[in-house]
Amino acid sequence: MNIEIEDIAKQFGATAALHPVSLFIPSGTLVALLGPSGSGKTTLLRILGGLEFPSTGRVLFDGTDATGLTVQDRRAGFVFQSYALFRHMTVFDNIAYGLRARSRKSRPAAAEIARRVNKLLDLIKLPDIGARYPSQLSGGQRQRVALARALAIEPRMLLLDEPFGALDAKVRKELRQGLRDIHDTTGLTTIFVTHDQDEAMELADLVVVMSMGRIEQVGKPEDIRARPKTPFVREFITA
Amino acid sequence: MTDTLTIPSRPRAFRPATTEPPVIRRVLIGVCLVVLTVLLFAPLIAVFDEALRQGWAFAIASLSESDAQSAIRLTLMVAAIVVPVNAAFGIAAAWAITKFDWRGKAWVITLIDLPFSVSPVVAGLLFVLMFGANSAVGAWLVASGFPIVSALPGIVLATLFITFPFVARELIPVMLEQGRAEEEAALTLGASGWRTFLTVTLPNIRWALLYGVLLCNARAMGEFGAVAVVSGKIRGQTTTMPLMIEMFYNEYLSVAAFTMAALLALLAFVTLTLKTALEWRYADQLAASHRH
Amino acid sequence: MTTRPFTLRNPTPMPGWGLSFGIMVTMLSVIVLMPMAVLLWRGFASFGAAEMWAVVNRPRVWSALALSFRAALVASLFNLIFGVLLAWVLVRYRFPGKRLIDAAVDLPFALPTAVAGIALTAIYAPNGVLGTPISEVFGVRVAYTEPGIWIALIFVGLPFVVRTVQPVIEEIDRETEEASATLGASRLRTLNHVVLPMLAPAALTGFALALARSVGEYGSVIFIAGNLPNVTEIAPLLIVIRLEEFDYDGAVAIAIAMLAISFTLLLAINLIQIWSRRRMGAV
Repeated sequence: MNIEIEDIAKQFGATAALHPVSLFIPSGTLVALLGPSGSGKTTLLRILGGLEFPSTGRVLFDGTDATGLTVQDRRAGFVFQSYALFRHMTVFDNIAYGLRARSRKSRPAAAEIARRVNKLLDLIKLPDIGARYPSQLSGGQRQRVALARALAIEPRMLLLDEPFGALDAKVRKELRQGLRDIHDTTGLTTIFVTHDQDEAMELADLVVVMSMGRIEQVGKPEDIRARPKTPFVREFITA
Repeated sequence: MTDTLTIPSRPRAFRPATTEPPVIRRVLIGVCLVVLTVLLFAPLIAVFDEALRQGWAFAIASLSESDAQSAIRLTLMVAAIVVPVNAAFGIAAAWAITKFDWRGKAWVITLIDLPFSVSPVVAGLLFVLMFGANSAVGAWLVASGFPIVSALPGIVLATLFITFPFVARELIPVMLEQGRAEEEAALTLGASGWRTFLTVTLPNIRWALLYGVLLCNARAMGEFGAVAVVSGKIRGQTTTMPLMIEMFYNEYLSVAAFTMAALLALLAFVTLTLKTALEWRYADQLAASHRH
Repeated sequence: MTTRPFTLRNPTPMPGWGLSFGIMVTMLSVIVLMPMAVLLWRGFASFGAAEMWAVVNRPRVWSALALSFRAALVASLFNLIFGVLLAWVLVRYRFPGKRLIDAAVDLPFALPTAVAGIALTAIYAPNGVLGTPISEVFGVRVAYTEPGIWIALIFVGLPFVVRTVQPVIEEIDRETEEASATLGASRLRTLNHVVLPMLAPAALTGFALALARSVGEYGSVIFIAGNLPNVTEIAPLLIVIRLEEFDYDGAVAIAIAMLAISFTLLLAINLIQIWSRRRMGAV
């Protein structure tokens, strides 16, 4: 599914988190929103996921206006920075949550839910942890469970907020490849937020550099590295 | 060198730098135990001692009197109304305060706490002024057969005022600490608002809610001043257990008064036991100030 | 920067705003704000400020108000000192029965005030278990005198300071105390100059809560006080007496006077707290 962002702006009280920004994301791309904290990248991601309303502007999914679409109806697989796993539910119940929340007509039978959850546990290469609680998992395992939970709803896109932010360097490297693999097998349009330029350059097909609520440059990693458009971009990617 | 470090021939027992000498420790512990005995434990023992002065049979007989029975029924009924209403308010207020950003939040929190600094007697007075026979509203209510003062609704309103902040105060810090991410996650997974609340929020706050409900219930069943003013103290009709204690006491029915008091002391006992159990077992799910 | 129109809150997809805010505001208005407004309206609009002053400015009312605030201050000061001590003992020392004691500190929160009132009276009455030895040894009566009121108010306010200070002591970084010791400070000096200042803001909060609670306390006091006009008659009791005489205006005047004095005191304590927090923040 392709995503079109048309003059999206966001105000929080008197401060502007996003100045009007526009962006086109072709279907199936793996996109990095790269920038320092306060650059508006998380706000943009949350607007796409339906967790914030834009003050002005439109969001289009495959050409149809999705600005007013509720968060439930967007079917955006969202992975939170803190993972936001439900601490009182097992891993299995976490992943099954979205399927069980569907209306009675479209809800799969219990056996079908179990089959899908187990398939997802295989996909994240953690087949045996269904009965555990989030507090019994390592940081890397939690991140993968959060990813599986987001994938369970058969999302139209995958949105990840600093997916590797809370992990140590070694796990980070492993999970980067994991995300790339999952993106390639599912073919989902995937957008992740990061402040780490190595991560963005290594992983993404398309990098969007942001600063102070504006998009500074959009391009392939090699283009941005070779031809930084603004002094900010030059400084940020060489930092 | 003018300074020489004198090392004692026999080193004293090593004491960490973060504690006091053993003698002082013992004295301080002793002082605390004496004060608590004189102030907390002695009264508690006195209640049961006075109640059983003439034996179990006499004490139990005093409770089976019809006035005593109706006082117990009224107190249970008041708590059965006040506690759920207060819990509903507490959940709603904590949701509005912790899940949304809006102006004037700090003021609203202060207003919710306001009843803590109002005398129970003044709380009772408020509802007498609003709904008493001397006010226009009150006169009309009495005329239309729905009196509030000197009746159950007045007792409920005054008790609601007194217990107003209890549940909200427990829930707000817990829900602030837990943040909004889990609810947001549930929404992105397609859950409706109610489903999100019932399956994600409620399980996370259930122990804090129970904690608030326990304290609210103890206060609701034990409130004296506010209810004394608003109830009219009609024997057998608007007399709650604490008011019955006063009546028995003033009539020199000491055993009856202390037996009723012992019943409420048992309630306090149960409350404290459950509360302590919650603090030990579910410390991580209560407000930070209860974790010790 | 463009100025935006006033909005109460940022729009968000989080559900339940209307319902939760509606319930909160409705109940706050019906249970707390409207009744308080009626009291103030009765006092200022219907009765009048000058008339209220005339009611309050009589010896019996003054002595009741003075007694309520004096006894509350005495009891809360005792609780301030004892509460910090007890919190310290409960956090730092180990002794048998500690968990039981810790749990028992909350008894005044759970025990109805009327129960506490008759129980304390039974013990401290001239013929009571503690009343007899105290009058024989010291020659003073506790029940039916002002010290009896102190005892009741100490009971009622006991948990506040302990419960606000306890978590702060738990979080003190012991290295601060060790640093003080390595710099040559005696233990007493460390406690006075390093530990106590860290506890001050929390202790003041507890003091304010205890004070607010004990100023208006009624149930536990009336049994032990003796209730002699001008001597041991507390302000809330005087309100009750006025109401029994159907003198609503008199009751309203005393109630408003009590509220005014309480809020002034609490405001003052708040200001001291802000000041002491600022000092702490500057370290």
